[in-house]
Amino acid sequence: MFDPYYLQQLAIGLSLGMTYALMAIGFTLIFGVLNVVNFAHGEIYTLGAFAGLVLISAAAPPIVAVILGALAIGALAGFSLERLAFKPFRRFTDEASLKSRAMRESTLLSSLAVSIVVREALEIVFGSQMRSVPFEYLINTPVRVGPVILVTGDFIIFGVAAAMLIGLQYLLTRTRVGLAIRAVSNNPLGAKYVGIDTDRTIITTFVVGSMMGAAAGILMGLYYGAIFPAMGFTPGIKAFVAMVMGGLSSIPGAVICALILGISESMATTFVSSGWSDMVAYGFLILTLIFFPNGLFGARRERV
Amino acid sequence: MNVFETTAPTDGLTRRRGLLVPALILLLVFAALPALLAGFDKGYFYQIANLALIFVLLSASMHLVTGVAGLLHLGHAAFYGVGAYTAALLTSKLGLGFTVTLPLSGLVAALVAFLVALPTMRLVSIYFAVATLAIGQMLYLVMLNWVDFTKGPNGIIVSKGFELFGFSLSGRLAAYYTVAAVVTLSVVAIGRLSHSYYGNALRSIREDDQCADAMGVSTVRLKMEAFTLSAFFAGIAGSLWAHMTGYISPGDFKFSESILILAMVVVGGLGSLPGAVIGALLLILLPEGLRGLGDFRNIMVGLVMFLSILLLPKGLLGEVSALRLVRRQLGAAWRSTGKGEGIGWR
Repeated sequence: MFDPYYLQQLAIGLSLGMTYALMAIGFTLIFGVLNVVNFAHGEIYTLGAFAGLVLISAAAPPIVAVILGALAIGALAGFSLERLAFKPFRRFTDEASLKSRAMRESTLLSSLAVSIVVREALEIVFGSQMRSVPFEYLINTPVRVGPVILVTGDFIIFGVAAAMLIGLQYLLTRTRVGLAIRAVSNNPLGAKYVGIDTDRTIITTFVVGSMMGAAAGILMGLYYGAIFPAMGFTPGIKAFVAMVMGGLSSIPGAVICALILGISESMATTFVSSGWSDMVAYGFLILTLIFFPNGLFGARRERV
Repeated sequence: MNVFETTAPTDGLTRRRGLLVPALILLLVFAALPALLAGFDKGYFYQIANLALIFVLLSASMHLVTGVAGLLHLGHAAFYGVGAYTAALLTSKLGLGFTVTLPLSGLVAALVAFLVALPTMRLVSIYFAVATLAIGQMLYLVMLNWVDFTKGPNGIIVSKGFELFGFSLSGRLAAYYTVAAVVTLSVVAIGRLSHSYYGNALRSIREDDQCADAMGVSTVRLKMEAFTLSAFFAGIAGSLWAHMTGYISPGDFKFSESILILAMVVVGGLGSLPGAVIGALLLILLPEGLRGLGDFRNIMVGLVMFLSILLLPKGLLGEVSALRLVRRQLGAAWRSTGKGEGIGWR
């Protein structure tokens, strides 16, 4: 009566959704503290994947080391991205200019410009073709669970993503750094007045968000076995959609919406060809914007 | 920022000088450049000149919605694509010529823009940008995946070049003149739109849409009109592109093209039409000039965009100086009657 095929699609969708969730958290954290959209987030994903690839071809370390390496590169990329594309536009520190439209638009465009430069640089160094991951690193050994055949990657992605989500929750709610991040995203000027180093908090946010993005990149690279300079674009947009659906500043909302997106996409491939499945995300986005402009889980906003 | 200062050139001298710059530009576009192109007589140069002109039109049409009305539009290339696909499909399925496809491409692109604008134009700021991004990507996916209709990634061959009421204009020089004439007329039309009371109403939405609403400006309607008009001109550009290259594929209309057009408007200066034109010329001609650098030219586009945002936040030719220039040199829109009434953009 219930086709195990759907269960299988559900599992694939969950893995996909988990990587979107990792990406979406980066977006959401950065939007929280700066109220800006970071368009270079997709390139962080790509950088994470390439860092893993370089590590594999250079030293062939165990998979845990590959993921840790990608995380380190992600942290570094997040730091430099903030210094390059965001810091120069934070010339004034009063609340009005921190959340002003000019600042939002110029950082949006500068992060776009940085993402173009990074992508093109990667194309020059690695070529625009897909690079395949060595066979022994692919995480797609089949595992039979009841009527469904999963691959090891599903478990690894789920495990790593869950660990990172729990870690993030711990960081945000139980440590002083997390407290600072929440304070700055609540009220940057107030945070400054009580002695929080907002500049350092913003960097921390970028580093944490970018580490999650880079982890998503390397996990997806190993899962599908193909790494190429333009790979970050689609997940970047999907994560962005998840963030908007979740209400822009709500991390649990973004995670839930990312999972919904991943599952509905993999379910959609059952009915339509895979080329059309991207349509699901955009359709969701438009519907959300029209009917729930505050996002499904977002706090009430004055106007959208 | 005194955009609305009221010192209008009234004396004969300035009025005569007011015709000098447009005359020089027309001379350059319609005499000097074609002569130069004919002198070199290389298909490649014609191709670059046409491409630059088409992107001037795209950038100018984006200027209307992003620069003047202040709406961040991230899906402009899709409407360019709708125009190009309309022209290509009308030519290949119905055998229509350029004379018919040119206006129809614009109208179809405008119609599509109007339909998608109906539900989404109430959004503001980042929500608007996200909505246009989604719309652009959806249109791109339709071009890519509706294989029966658009031939998908294989693209469509456009067998007919330019013509005017059956009179062929497909020679290199004739094609250049066709593109130049259409682009010039469209840019003049966009200029008249953005330097008029209508343009000022759009500017009021950009500066403070709640305030504009309170003053009786119908913001939603104006946003829809600006969006539709800009899609119309993008569709015209698409038709030019389809007939010029003779082959179109979805890859020409993807997200990165929207970003390229946005970069042109930003580099030139948001809100400034001469800036948008200069930005388009810069970002098309610079990579071609740097062809010797090979793979590095796309990086150059990113770097130029980044540096111009960082060092020239107002763009190469910012709005205030651009308005002053337009008013003084192309000043048909700004002329005082001298009777103390009617001062302003008309």
